[in-house]
Amino acid sequence: MDIAAQLTVNSLIAGSLYALVAMSFNLIFGATRFFNLAHGALATVGAYGTFYVGVVLGLPLSVAVAGGVLTAALAGYALERLVFRPLRARKASNLVLLIASLGILIAVEAILAIFFTSQFKTLSVLTGAAQTIHIGSAVITHVQLTMFASAVLVCGTLWLVLSKTSFGRAIRAVSDDAEVAKIVGINTNVIIAALFVIGSAIVGLSGVLYGLDTGIEPRLGFMLLLKGVIAAIVGGIGNVYGGFLGAFLVGFAENFGIWFISGEWKEAIAFGLLVLFLVFRPQGILGKKHT
Amino acid sequence: MNAITTERLRKTFGGVAAVDDLSIVIQKGKIIGIIGPNGSGKTTLTNVLTGIHRMDGGVVVVGKKERTRIKSCEVFGLGLTRTFQNVRVFEQVSVLDNVLIAITKKGVLGSLFERASAAQIQNADAVLARVGLTEKRDALAAELSYGQRKLLEIARALATDAEIILFDEPYAGLFPEMVKRVSGIMQELKAEGKTVILIEHDMALIRELCDHVLVMDAGKLLAEGTPEAVLSNPSVIEAYLGV
Repeated sequence: MDIAAQLTVNSLIAGSLYALVAMSFNLIFGATRFFNLAHGALATVGAYGTFYVGVVLGLPLSVAVAGGVLTAALAGYALERLVFRPLRARKASNLVLLIASLGILIAVEAILAIFFTSQFKTLSVLTGAAQTIHIGSAVITHVQLTMFASAVLVCGTLWLVLSKTSFGRAIRAVSDDAEVAKIVGINTNVIIAALFVIGSAIVGLSGVLYGLDTGIEPRLGFMLLLKGVIAAIVGGIGNVYGGFLGAFLVGFAENFGIWFISGEWKEAIAFGLLVLFLVFRPQGILGKKHT
Repeated sequence: MNAITTERLRKTFGGVAAVDDLSIVIQKGKIIGIIGPNGSGKTTLTNVLTGIHRMDGGVVVVGKKERTRIKSCEVFGLGLTRTFQNVRVFEQVSVLDNVLIAITKKGVLGSLFERASAAQIQNADAVLARVGLTEKRDALAAELSYGQRKLLEIARALATDAEIILFDEPYAGLFPEMVKRVSGIMQELKAEGKTVILIEHDMALIRELCDHVLVMDAGKLLAEGTPEAVLSNPSVIEAYLGV
């Protein structure tokens, strides 16, 4: 029973982290329709932004977190303006965009390794000794609780923006048919740039929280991206709320799976779930079936 | 006064001219029909005028603005809107929101905190009532029948309050009652001083609605004039019927 409670908490923590990546990935994918692998790099940029502001410059935790999220948002905007928009303007195929984003992911990891080395670094100097909370027989740290709260808060805020505001309506229009959206007066480039800023800030936050929880290294974004993309596909590619649900499904499958089989199979469980969905429900949990 | 003028407008696909040095004048405040056999370049002309295709040569004058390139994101600002031959609505958005998208703010900062006002919703509801979609206002556009989607597309075009509206085969797939409604809307638009460009194959409708008709064949202007004059022109009959 104790194990089940702790596994539930662990599932929620993992699901929260994946949810931040999956929701932001789907937010951008919905409008651009390409697999942006550079999204993972922005989680790393967020984490190192926090490291730089908090550890190197010695500023307080709140400033460091804000600095990391802001750096990721600006980096995402820069990628859209300098790489993806020019490629779209030249009518580059999704394959070209995918390869460009892979190149960016690898380049960003390399640049961060050059500046900060590839050594694993902790951010515990910012958070101090891990403070824990007991929920029944399960234990959770403050940072992990913040992860869960952030995922729920981000999901709720996105729901409000997407369903209740004119901006959200414009996003849904661009996601549905960008060409027609232009005809009714929506500047699709501005909407997509805004989505890159918002999505990059969210994925940057996931990198920051992951860093505060376990530490940072230049490849952290890649692993987060893999799990986030699995969650995005399982939930329904391009569907923000699907990404949220998919993330928790992956989190629960991984953590309860290792109750029955060895922990080293954790990654295989996530990918196994992905394959199951691709074969039996390729549209994901909330995705629409294409006829 | 002219709503649109094209001078030697040209659009080619793989060396084949779909619009071939076309010079036409669309008069303001009238219903202008564009007819021609399949492949004559009618839809390509519409796509060039609304920035879907980039023109390869010539000039388009919309109002007083002379253009050698029209981007689709500029079309709204030119007071121009359109419907599509193959209906295109925002499928995963409600019927009401399809119309509100055309009414509410377009910028990021302005729209981020904007909820549709009561006046905007009232405006959208009025447009939906005009096309007869009031009962479907909360349904997803994807759930509508083909004819209802055509009407929704027209509603969205009306909601932009554009001065020039291009209808690309709006009657295809509509029931007779819907046809009557759409014809009524076109006549109302004309009465409001707006310019209607109607691409249509149904000659009875062209005869009934249009003040002036342009006939295209192989990307060129074959003939123009009143519906009666054009539809009795032997070269038009030959191009259309091959006799």
